Amino acid sequence: MSIGALSTPYQAEFDANSQEFSLAGVIRPRTVDEIAASVTALRHAVEGARGVLYINVKRLAQMNNTAFHAFARVVLDACRARSDLRFVVVTSSVVGWTERMFRHLGKIEPQISVEVYDSKFYPGQDFVEDTSFIPILRTQTKMTWRHERTILPRHGMRAGIAMADICCGIGDFAALVRKEFRPARIVALDHSRASLAYARNVAAEFGITDIEYTYGDASEMLLESDQFDLVTCRHSLQIFNQPDVLLKELFRICKPGGRVYITNEKNSHCLGEPRSQSIQWTYEEVAKLFSHFEMDVELGPKSRRYLADAGFEDIRVESFMVSNLDGDPQDFADIIAAWENVYAGEMAVKRGDSPEFIRRFRQGFQDHIFAALHPKGYAGWPIWAASGRKPL
Amino acid sequence: MSAARAKANFEPLIELEMEMGTFLSDWDHCDHLSSFMARMISHNRTDPVRHSNFFSSALNELLEVTFRGGLPEGRIGCTVYRQGPKERVKLTFPCPPSQRQFYREAVSKTREQDAYDRYLDAISNDLAPSREVILLDLAINFEAEISLEEKTSPSITLVVDLPLEGIIS
Ligand SMILES: C[S@@+](CC[C@H](N)C(=O)[O-])C[C@H]1O[C@@H](n2cnc3c(N)ncnc32)[C@H](O)[C@@H]1O
Repeated sequence: MSIGALSTPYQAEFDANSQEFSLAGVIRPRTVDEIAASVTALRHAVEGARGVLYINVKRLAQMNNTAFHAFARVVLDACRARSDLRFVVVTSSVVGWTERMFRHLGKIEPQISVEVYDSKFYPGQDFVEDTSFIPILRTQTKMTWRHERTILPRHGMRAGIAMADICCGIGDFAALVRKEFRPARIVALDHSRASLAYARNVAAEFGITDIEYTYGDASEMLLESDQFDLVTCRHSLQIFNQPDVLLKELFRICKPGGRVYITNEKNSHCLGEPRSQSIQWTYEEVAKLFSHFEMDVELGPKSRRYLADAGFEDIRVESFMVSNLDGDPQDFADIIAAWENVYAGEMAVKRGDSPEFIRRFRQGFQDHIFAALHPKGYAGWPIWAASGRKPL
Repeated sequence: MSAARAKANFEPLIELEMEMGTFLSDWDHCDHLSSFMARMISHNRTDPVRHSNFFSSALNELLEVTFRGGLPEGRIGCTVYRQGPKERVKLTFPCPPSQRQFYREAVSKTREQDAYDRYLDAISNDLAPSREVILLDLAINFEAEISLEEKTSPSITLVVDLPLEGIIS
């Protein structure tokens, strides 16, 4: 029987450069014969390997005991034949059972160890999963929602759909969407346990039981393919060092004919009057600061290209300006104050910036706040909302 | 809490029954049924996606055990119950007298002191997992408590309690 006989295709690949053998998908064969080609591939990989061979099971959603025994057999035999070789099994903190199962191998042969691949997906991870982001996210969503509630229907939002909000943060967007648009199903995924705990608490307080909050890695999701009419991902492509990888996953879980909706900023275009120059200088520096940590907060206008390159069609792009005139100017000022705390107070410090730089950097945020609260002032934060349809 | 009361607290969530012959006609039934039932029962767990993934793993192994030893007569029934953070799977399937003793022993071995050593030994030496090792896998990796009911002759019922909600969060 061939691999194709299995209900869901799985992937087994060897990358000789990194000496990494990866297994992904669902592997539930009836007999070892069905996966013989992959088992042989692992055996060949072992034969050619020097030093450490990595076995990557981060994206292995399911594997039955038959497959586990077959692959384990190869690795255990190799340990006995090759005392020079070590094995590192790389599991994900998201898939609970893989770490449990593979850990036993190290008990049998000490040459085998298990590493849980977790928080270090990309350089800026620590900042964005930090709980100090929670108050920012909350006020931000409150401000952007005023615009997005009218924008979303143009991008596929409607009652009765199945939707997923990926990188959902503290989940307030999901809760607002649920109330306003009544989708039939909402899955909300994030990789910050703190934000998810917050989201679940808020949901419980409001008696919301039908949002499925889930812990996951947006670039390697457990969610099945072709499931959602609308996949939203807000302010998050811009914080990944490889936005295209994330977009590929959003594409995958979207139904053919469904849409993926993304919002992103172009931070250097934040503006204000009076004191426009100081404000502009600081936000240009914000963009540079993020790029130092391999995040592109200038991504907004590039959305069209990213969506096109990912294979979407019927791409729609629009922009809106969150401003101090949207509601209470103090809300706008609060967002800026929170940015100042994280960007100047944490990220610039981490980059090793001088006190003089940080002082000037902070000044621009304070001037933006000044503009926001000034009786004749104007302060703005531009955002690009874009979506594309997955071809049928 | 008395045993009787604990039992009464298990609420049925989903029940499925089919002809053994139909079940055995396609290996993929194990995968499909476990994925489907896992999704159905997990939607109101704290983390539905991960709960479903974990539960599907365990249920699939049980269905595969039944499939491998199965005879195309009678019916297979699978009911999932819930009590707090625990799910109970009751899998009922026809079992010839000659196999009963095997199940009795396999189940009782999951509770013995040397369960873990046996499990490691099997991974270490066996070419393919036996049904007994699969029950050990459930007990060890899924913290399952497994027992056997023999009230429904000629069928037997595997009763498997899975505390997955607690393991996941
Ligand atoms: C800038 S926030 C945006 C949150 C939310 N969409 C909003 O607009 O308020 C980025 C979010 O991405 C999450 N995140 C970062 N890396 C992730 C990953 N690999 N998988 C899933 N979520 C991730 C962070 O925890 C954070 O909540």
